[in-house]
Amino acid sequence: MKRYDCLKTLASQVNDALVVSSAGAMTLEWNSLHPNDGNLRVRTLGLCSSIALGMALGLPHRRVVALDGDGSLLMNLCSLPTIARMRPTNLVHIVFDNEVYEASGSKQTATGAGTDLVGIARAAGITNSQWAKTVDEFAKLAAAALGGNELCFIGVKVSTERTAVPPFPIDEVENKYRFMRHIEKSEKIEIFKTNLPASYI
Amino acid sequence: MLSGERLGEIEEQVSQVSMTAAESAKILVNGLKDAGIGLIATLPDINLSDLLREVEEAKGVIHVPLCREEEGMGICAGGYLVGKKCAAIMQNGGFFNSTNAIVSTLLQYQIPVLLLIYYAGDIGDRTFASTGSMTEPVLQALGIRYYIMRDIGDAPELIKRAQILAEDARKPIALLLTKELLGRRAALKSL
Repeated sequence: MKRYDCLKTLASQVNDALVVSSAGAMTLEWNSLHPNDGNLRVRTLGLCSSIALGMALGLPHRRVVALDGDGSLLMNLCSLPTIARMRPTNLVHIVFDNEVYEASGSKQTATGAGTDLVGIARAAGITNSQWAKTVDEFAKLAAAALGGNELCFIGVKVSTERTAVPPFPIDEVENKYRFMRHIEKSEKIEIFKTNLPASYI
Repeated sequence: MLSGERLGEIEEQVSQVSMTAAESAKILVNGLKDAGIGLIATLPDINLSDLLREVEEAKGVIHVPLCREEEGMGICAGGYLVGKKCAAIMQNGGFFNSTNAIVSTLLQYQIPVLLLIYYAGDIGDRTFASTGSMTEPVLQALGIRYYIMRDIGDAPELIKRAQILAEDARKPIALLLTKELLGRRAALKSL
């Protein structure tokens, strides 16, 4: 199963969900399929699910999707019990498990040696944790997760095949500002206030 | 190992200042609320007990108990990106645990977060001397401005100012919480 094919079905379903994607080629594939200011590319390996949790808690009425990888999640496994404890019903955590550190020279991760991330997520307390075995199955699980009102964890075993896509066009700071302006506009809130000059305070 | 008798004496001393510890905790949490903080990620230290109890009970604040401090940097970043002012409360050892996320997320994306760090290994502590000795140098190396808080009377104003600075600088700012601030040790006026 190719990650790109799963992302393609997801792109047709996400609507206005905020999408946080882990460092690596997946981010480039996702942004070429679904270019949107509601996308955030993560640069710290492991932090994807934690950033998505912070968003889901801060905006409980808005759907948030974390696009994680096996290497990334393995580095921050403790985010699973924390997510389970906070239980945000608007968070969908998807892990594309290709069993290697793809962006770092394709060395095997622990999942390649038998570690079961869906099993870990379920044991951590995320009861709705499932493997998708085909693209169709993934599309169905994603649709149920995006349309439902329950914390979900979806694992997908994918090949290491990459799809040739353009590079991510903006840096981290521009990504932040575009994302936050997108939140201001779509949520009709003001995050950046115009401050008085220092001499007035 | 401490004898049972000695432990009893320590418990007694702590209980004698516990009223002030509870009062300090209230003042600090009210200060955070007044500064507009809406999400607080925490990991316990015995000296933070009263403060964390107050955070748990605070209304209008999302409290996220962590398993490891580094994930808290991500949670605070996510909260900030959707419009929440965020703070993290931890021990200085937990601050060390968080450095990769601080550098490659908070600093790289220019995200303001208040870091309230219990200053273990501060002058007079019997443990964590190494942790204490490295706390300020690591903050300095990361370019994070910090303020050592010793007097609870200054706390609400300092927290407010730190949040203004964090937002203006678009960077994390650290407030080092000492035992005297937390009401767990008598203050020395000359410190």
